[in-house]
Order: sequence, then structure tokens, then C-alpha cells
Amino acid sequence: MKNLLNFLVRYNSLIVFLILEALALYMLTAGNSYHNSRLQKGVIGLTKNLEEKIYNTRSYLSLREINERLALENSALKNSMEKLGHKENNLFLTVSDTLLGQNYQYSTAEIINNSVNKQKNFLTLNKGRRHGLDTDMAVAGTRGVAGLIVSCSENYSIAISVLNLDFKLSSRIRSNGYFGSLSWDGRNYRYAVLNEIPQHVSISVGDTVETTGYSAVFPEGMMIGTISEFEKSGSDFYMIRVELITDFKNIKYVTVIDNLKKSERIGLENQYQ
Amino acid sequence: MINSIIKYGLFIILMVLLQLLLFNNIQFSGYVNPYVYIMILLLLPAEIPAWLLLIVSFLTGFTIDMFSGSPGMHSSATLLAGFSRPYVLRLISPRDGYDSGSGLSMATYGFRWFVIYTVIIVFIHHFALFYLEVFRLSGFFRTLLRVILSSAFSVAFIVLAEFYRKGRK
Repeated sequence: MKNLLNFLVRYNSLIVFLILEALALYMLTAGNSYHNSRLQKGVIGLTKNLEEKIYNTRSYLSLREINERLALENSALKNSMEKLGHKENNLFLTVSDTLLGQNYQYSTAEIINNSVNKQKNFLTLNKGRRHGLDTDMAVAGTRGVAGLIVSCSENYSIAISVLNLDFKLSSRIRSNGYFGSLSWDGRNYRYAVLNEIPQHVSISVGDTVETTGYSAVFPEGMMIGTISEFEKSGSDFYMIRVELITDFKNIKYVTVIDNLKKSERIGLENQYQ
Repeated sequence: MINSIIKYGLFIILMVLLQLLLFNNIQFSGYVNPYVYIMILLLLPAEIPAWLLLIVSFLTGFTIDMFSGSPGMHSSATLLAGFSRPYVLRLISPRDGYDSGSGLSMATYGFRWFVIYTVIIVFIHHFALFYLEVFRLSGFFRTLLRVILSSAFSVAFIVLAEFYRKGRK
């Protein structure tokens, strides 16, 4: 007994260290992985409030640039509306049941926390379950793919960014339709890597890379980026570097896309897997 | 006693805010992410009990973690730095030992001693932190480069801040 007490007194700092370090490592493994990021939910509510306040003051500084971009987007939308209108005139019937054909529902959100300098980057959105957001919804910037929601609280959501080592996206080259898997290599926040494109396919720098719609999350044909360089590696596949269309350093407003028929489709697919 | 607790408390709050509001936003080519809040551990007095030092390190790391959304990462790295501090102090102790009662500062122990001390602790902390962040050994040397560049930046800031403190006395 005396020996035990002596031991405890002598090594008290080591014991405290081991206990606390074990606790910290437990938090690290339990709280950080992509699948367990929902564990942070409780904390999100506490700290994000402060973060939002900081963000709000900061966002004033870039209002001008955002205005310009919104104006651009507005004009693009107007143009596409114009095209739709003309098409409708040539049709014989109008569809009155809009829900029947509607596949995706779009809503907007603002990014209140973002990083590009880590290996596993996440985006925090200022809307949550209360606003109709849920996990596994796609997040798109004004021009292209940005991420995927992995966790929602009442008022906030966390989305895994394309700039995350755990993020994988089924994508294809628009010009020839060959598809592969896009992921980030953790180096430059402007570039991602497209794998699994066989070497007999002819591709060239500047080709558009877009989503396939195989995953039931992203709509088909959404822009991801353009090929910036490629090389033939030792295997049968190209090593393709894709310049992302979304610049994660100045992304601010995003569109959240919900596939209304996702559960139906996944339920059907699961029967055969 | 009470006085110094208040002094260190204010210093800790200041460093945490500085880290969260300023240094967490420095993104220089993805290789430089300075974490200067480690200065909190550096300046605590030499005679602080080891267990108290560990608890202060853990709580500091924990606070940073909560606000950066990375549970456990900063806690474990800061804890490791706090645990190694007594050994580092023993390793580089000046000829006539440490004075009790005064904090560890450049004014007391000299520029050379302070820089060596800062480099060792900051490197231990950043090394643990960056490897815990990637959590894999592939790309070992790229992570090492990030560790070295970020450490250099943090050390530079801490030494400059210490110069400022010294100048005021």
C-alpha cells in the first residue's frame, strides 16, 4: 500500500498526462472522422453563434464583390428563363402538376465558416434542419460543386468540402462521357485529381469535368472544373489534375440541392446490393 | 499569488483570442499555419507543479479545439508540449538554475536561452499537431515541411512578442 502511494506521488505528472492524453486522443478519433462529425453537433450550437457574429462583421468588407457576382448570376438566370419561355410557346400543353416532374429542390444558404488550409476541410452553413436542410444534400457554389452536407443541427449545417481527403465524387469528362472518381490530394486548394479514366481515351487540357448523377446526390451535368494537366502514369489510368471552378477562398453563398426522389432510388438500388 | 493568477489568466485569454481571431485566418500557401497560443505554456513560472501545468495545457488546447471544430487535436498536442516542458527546462537549465518567483522570460535568462527553449517546445507542439491532423504517414516529408515552416513563423512571432514585453519593463 505504501509502495503504491509512493508510486502515485512520484509519477503524478505522468499519470495526469496519460489520463488527459487518452481523453484527448479519444476525442480526436471519435470526433474528427467524416462519419462521426455529427458528434460535434452539441458544441456547434454554442460556438457557431459567436462565429456567426464575427463573420457578420467581416462580410461587410466584401459586399461589393458579392453584389457583382449576384448581378452576373441574375442576368444568367434571366437569360435561361427567356429561353424557357420561348420553348413553352412551341409546346401544345402546359404541365400543371409541377411536383410530378420536379426532381431537385434548390435553396440558398450562406457559408459562415470555411477553411482551405487543412487536410480535412469543412464548410459551416447558416441554415439547418429548421430550414429544411438534411444530411446527404449537395452543396454547390454559384458556379459549381462545393461539397456535401454531413451533419445538421437546428440552425446550422456542416458540409464536407471538396477540399477534404475523405471526399470522393463520381465525375465524368463532358466531351466523351468517360467517368471516374474525383478527390483532393491535399496539396493546392485550386486543384483536385480525377482518377480511373482509362488511357485509351483521348482527352485534352481545358476539357470540362462534370458530375455524373450516379450518386443520387448531385444533379447530372453540374460543372466541377476543367482539366489543367494530365499524364500517363504506370497503371492503365491517367493522372488528371482538374482545376476546380469553385474558388474555395472566396465562396460565400451556396445553393443546397435536395434530390426529392433520392430515398426512392436508394431503396430500390439497395435491394440488389 | 492572486495577482499573478489574474495576470496569467488575462494573458491566456488574450493569447487564445489572438489565435482564434487572427492567426487561425493566416493561410499562406497551405504550408504556414502558425499556432502562437503555445506561448501560454512557455511563460508560466518554472516552479509551477507539473500536474497544474498539464491541466492548464489541456484546457488551453481544449478551448482552441472547440472553436476550430477539431476535437482533441490541439488538446493532445498542447498536452504533449506541457508534459515535455519540465524535461526541456532541465535539459537547457542555466548554470545557476531557475529563480523561483519570477516567470520564465528573455529578460531574465537571455536571448539565446529563450530562443532555444521556444524552438524546442514549439517544434514538439507543431510536430504532434500536424501529424495528428493528417493522421497518416504517407506524405511524411510534406507534413514535415509544414511543421518546420509553421514552427519558424510561430517562433518568430513569440520571440518578437517577448522582445516587446522585455522592452516595456
